Amino acid sequence: MSLVVAGRDSGSAVLPHAGRAAIPRIAFYVGLSLFALVWIAPVFILVFTALKSASDFAHGGTFALPERIEWANFAKAWDVGIRTYFANSALMTLVKVPAGVLIAAMAAFALTFLRLPGSRALFTFFIVGLVVPIQMTLVPLTLLLRNLDLIDSLFGLFWLYLGFGLPFAIMVMRGYMRSIPRELVEAALIDGCSWFGVFRRIVLPLSTPAVVSLLIFDGIATWNEFILAQIFLRQNSNRTLPLGLVNFQTEFSTAYELLAAAQCITIVPLVVVYLFFQRYFVDGLSGSIKS
Amino acid sequence: MSLGGADTAAATPAAGRGGSNPLRTEWRIGALFLAPALLLYVTIIIYPLIYSSWLSLFEWDGISPTRRFVGLDNYATLWSQNRVFWIALKNSALWTAVALVVPTSIGLGLALLLNRSFAGRGFYRGLFYFPAILSLSLCGLIWTWIYHPTLGFLNQFLGWVGLESLHRAWLSEPSIALFAVMVAAGWHNTGLPMLLYLAGLQTIPREVLEAAEVDGATAFQRFRHVTWPMLKDTTFVVLAITFINSLKVYDVVYVMTFGGPANQTQVLGTWMYFLTYNFNRIGLGTAIAVVLFGLTLIFAIPYTRKLGQES
Repeated sequence: MSLVVAGRDSGSAVLPHAGRAAIPRIAFYVGLSLFALVWIAPVFILVFTALKSASDFAHGGTFALPERIEWANFAKAWDVGIRTYFANSALMTLVKVPAGVLIAAMAAFALTFLRLPGSRALFTFFIVGLVVPIQMTLVPLTLLLRNLDLIDSLFGLFWLYLGFGLPFAIMVMRGYMRSIPRELVEAALIDGCSWFGVFRRIVLPLSTPAVVSLLIFDGIATWNEFILAQIFLRQNSNRTLPLGLVNFQTEFSTAYELLAAAQCITIVPLVVVYLFFQRYFVDGLSGSIKS
Repeated sequence: MSLGGADTAAATPAAGRGGSNPLRTEWRIGALFLAPALLLYVTIIIYPLIYSSWLSLFEWDGISPTRRFVGLDNYATLWSQNRVFWIALKNSALWTAVALVVPTSIGLGLALLLNRSFAGRGFYRGLFYFPAILSLSLCGLIWTWIYHPTLGFLNQFLGWVGLESLHRAWLSEPSIALFAVMVAAGWHNTGLPMLLYLAGLQTIPREVLEAAEVDGATAFQRFRHVTWPMLKDTTFVVLAITFINSLKVYDVVYVMTFGGPANQTQVLGTWMYFLTYNFNRIGLGTAIAVVLFGLTLIFAIPYTRKLGQES
């Protein structure tokens, strides 16, 4: 048994060691699992807290098992505000992310396939956006949105999210599109396809892996965004989840089970996306740093 | 959209009507494709970037119609009169130094471990990366609960193993609060280096490592002389991203300590916010943003240059 496992994993010519590998192997798993347990403990503590009833907190500490599992915490957190925040975050993410990816894909297409003077410089210009600290933009954006009467509006925030998502998205899309053979594009043009057709029917479909990676990354980033939401959203009914959670923290500062339940609800969509699309994380990122 | 028909004919390379015509059409089409992105990007990032620098030369409360030009006075004020600015600068420097070493090293270590092939590798990768998909503000809230003086896991655990003497009010003691916040941030910030290093490790050819092994190199020697040099590019990207993100850190501090106790955990990102939005000192706030951006450039310039060149 250990021979088979060891053989498969070392995958090299050093089989003589394989028989003795069983003990290091077990030590490896034990060490890794212990570390993993410590690493993920905060999430367990969170879920644990969310499942306790308020009276459980009075007696019994963190380690005490819940006397009975209190599912009602989730319903209550949902009713006292999370529902609104959740809806706002979902709306924002579902509208902003596809729009942002499309705009970035169009720009990346032009930068990759069209013969434009200075397209390289323009790409570098877009990349600068990756390193600008958000603090550098806050005051002018406040003035801008105030003038447009878009403070405290999800619609106003939408434009900001769109702008801040572009540099990374353009970099990833362009990195990927460069792997698409030019000949495909030229052949289509000769066959009478327009540039818009080339984009829509050839380049965009071929870029699906990059598009999916971006939808996930940008989706998570949008779902999680805090500082802009905090500055530009005021009314409770406009708040997104990250902002709503902080608000919850002050409003129900001692209802720990409610706070934890609210935080769990926030995490659920992330977990779902993560479980389904995990492989895109490494693939998507390696595409963006190695060209 | 109406352009569609016209382009088709002109853009056909074989059309050969003088040669300059298709190029000009391409230029116009390119402009159409680029317009939305460029317009948004310039309005949301570039124009504010320049306008902020300009505003840092004024004294203004953000509301009154007039603002007074004061030159570099705001910077002088920060330098000589704003005690909290120095605390924030020191904390940001400390934060950045720790961030460059600790989460990155753990990320590298995990990547090396999880790059070996063994049953359950995908599960462990997913588990260790997981905190990175949570927002920093949420990580802050989760750890705030762990640090709770009486009900929090940390103090209860210390009591359980008989180390009551180590009990602390983790987030309200000035000497440890910043480090307590760093732990929460590090929990979130380890995933990205791990992922980048995993991607980097995949570019190292197996044969090279095997050759070294056949030659009798120990595991450490293989890492020291083969793997580590070949990860140079990845390390640069990891350090650049870490540096840039560390300087602008805001949410996790805001959520966990609100800059307190007594401003002891202010960093540049939070102090910029408080000066601007709580004290209406627009000039001072934007001046901090400019300082922050200036520091960012230490890594940002080589980083953007590298990204530009790779293309």
